[in-house]
Amino acid sequence: MNTGRTHLILLLVTVAAMGVSVASWTRAAASRLAESQGKLPEVATASASDMNYCSGDLKVILKRVLTSCGLTTGGSTRGCQPLQARQVASMSGGDFNALFSPLADRAAIIQFDKDSADLDAASAVLLEQTFSDRRGASYFFVVSRASPEGSTEHNRDLSHRRGTAVLDHIRAKFQDPDIDQEVGLLWLGEEFAQLDQQFCQWKRSRSGDGCGTAELNRSSFIAWIDCRL
Amino acid sequence: MAYGLPTMPQPDVRQQPAGAASPRKTLIVLAVFALAGVVFAAVSSYDFIAHLDRQVHAITCSIVPGLGAKDASGSSGCHTVLMSPYSSVWRDMTWGGIPIALPAFGVFAFLLFRAVDLLLRKRMVRVETSFMVAATALPVLTSIIYAFISATRIGTFCKVCVGIYVSSLGVFVAAIAAHVLTPASPERKSNVLSQWAFYFVEGLAIVALPLLLYLTLKPAYSDSLLQTSGLRHPDDKYGVMLDVPGGGQVPSVEVLDPLCPACKAFSERLSASGLADRLQIKMILFPLDKECNWMVGESLHPGACAVSEALLCAGPRASAVLDWAFAHQEELRARGAQGQPAIYTRIKQQFPDLAGCVGQPAVRARVNKGLRWIVANSLPVLTPQLFVRNQKLPDEDTDLGLDYVLSRVLAQTSNEVRR
Repeated sequence: MNTGRTHLILLLVTVAAMGVSVASWTRAAASRLAESQGKLPEVATASASDMNYCSGDLKVILKRVLTSCGLTTGGSTRGCQPLQARQVASMSGGDFNALFSPLADRAAIIQFDKDSADLDAASAVLLEQTFSDRRGASYFFVVSRASPEGSTEHNRDLSHRRGTAVLDHIRAKFQDPDIDQEVGLLWLGEEFAQLDQQFCQWKRSRSGDGCGTAELNRSSFIAWIDCRL
Repeated sequence: MAYGLPTMPQPDVRQQPAGAASPRKTLIVLAVFALAGVVFAAVSSYDFIAHLDRQVHAITCSIVPGLGAKDASGSSGCHTVLMSPYSSVWRDMTWGGIPIALPAFGVFAFLLFRAVDLLLRKRMVRVETSFMVAATALPVLTSIIYAFISATRIGTFCKVCVGIYVSSLGVFVAAIAAHVLTPASPERKSNVLSQWAFYFVEGLAIVALPLLLYLTLKPAYSDSLLQTSGLRHPDDKYGVMLDVPGGGQVPSVEVLDPLCPACKAFSERLSASGLADRLQIKMILFPLDKECNWMVGESLHPGACAVSEALLCAGPRASAVLDWAFAHQEELRARGAQGQPAIYTRIKQQFPDLAGCVGQPAVRARVNKGLRWIVANSLPVLTPQLFVRNQKLPDEDTDLGLDYVLSRVLAQTSNEVRR
């Protein structure tokens, strides 16, 4: 075989091998692209959390409270008074408290002095820690109470002031524009769903002090609720 | 067949026979290195071309292609180099640009062809070996430039690229040896030039062929792919967006995780594209770290929550913190995996003035607000994401297609603004 012919054959083999390779790779990519058109990507979409404890019952109560207490409707009414809370919950105080038992890791009890609605330093720290540990939760509940000393009317007002003190503090500290849509405020006075001794085991702002039902109920129970409605 | 006889320069019959076997042996070595170069360049080209379907692919990252598992995680140097702005040219003219590996494929194929062609001849002359020296200098020079870029700009090497560098050096050394060992012979200057011109044109054709085929057959980018949803709530009502320095005018939002390698590579590509200068970017943090982000079951980038806090704490100096985080991503992720105290300690060591801010409830709440902004906009759980004038750059186009697609988005949006 002469030099020129060998040269030509080699050249053709080289060109053909390259051409076939590049053409097949490129057309395969074009074919895959065409097949993928219109298919939705398999990527999760960002959403608020919806934990296992968000039972149907809890969601029903949550929705009633949020609606009746003026949160989801954006109305001017903020919070539920004891009578409203009882009506909204449509259940006994014990059952109402039981709804919150799965929140032991998420909740805290902000304790107050007797006949006082002033947050002390430890309460402020625990409140800030709890509120900042929001994660994917959508709603923050503040459920304030009072111990039975004094008149019912006075305790109703006292628990209202305690709840408001908590709300004012987080409003000032965190400047969250959504606060009116995410904080559910209930003040129960001494009348409904009082905390019993088992809540002494929960995170409290005065965990070093003695814990009786009187001390427990001079408080605001706070918790982020990881439920999506 | 009369191919080449009238025009193709033939060996001078007055030449002395090729001295012994030594030049031939070196030509065999040259052919082996050229073949290796063909394989490495082909593998690299194949991996690049596979990405023209706008999907994610595992890529070869082994010094012996075919052996060893492919990199599916995107953590290898090969992936970093492939996705870097230096893996292809003319990216703003065609989606992905033209991969550098493709002309390399042609060059090595040409060298292999020349080496085999010479080996099959009975005589070798210096005009041919000298051309081989010149031809092999091209891949060597390119390899030196790219090795320098890898070391100084990209910060990592890819094994397949190293294979190309070694092959380049091998063919060059072998070509010099073949030339030195081939006996000198008298040549007319015009004869030398015509032979060189012939070989050059032949080489040019072999290099151009794959490029032409690639450009002709590569998938076309349809404008319909740009029809993406925008942000439902683009306003920064939580005050958590950070300004990225720059003099651009086009309002843009970049969603990123400071410890995400893809975000770092994206920032580098955006910067290298020159298009970042036209954007007025606001950055929103989306750490894919379960310490603060409930949307991920496992921390993809441990430590990202703490670093995000540092960015928010830094405020106007956030870009300095981001540069540092990008430069130390691997180390920071390793510290993050050790636990929050380890990552906070490292941040405080680097930025003592942020010590009173990171880890505090206020800044943790700000990180959370950023995540809520992402939820409010129903964004996919991935980073990076770029919105230009509230139009999303398709996620599939944030890597190789960035220059091309962003150019089109900018042109499209500026046309809309004019209307």
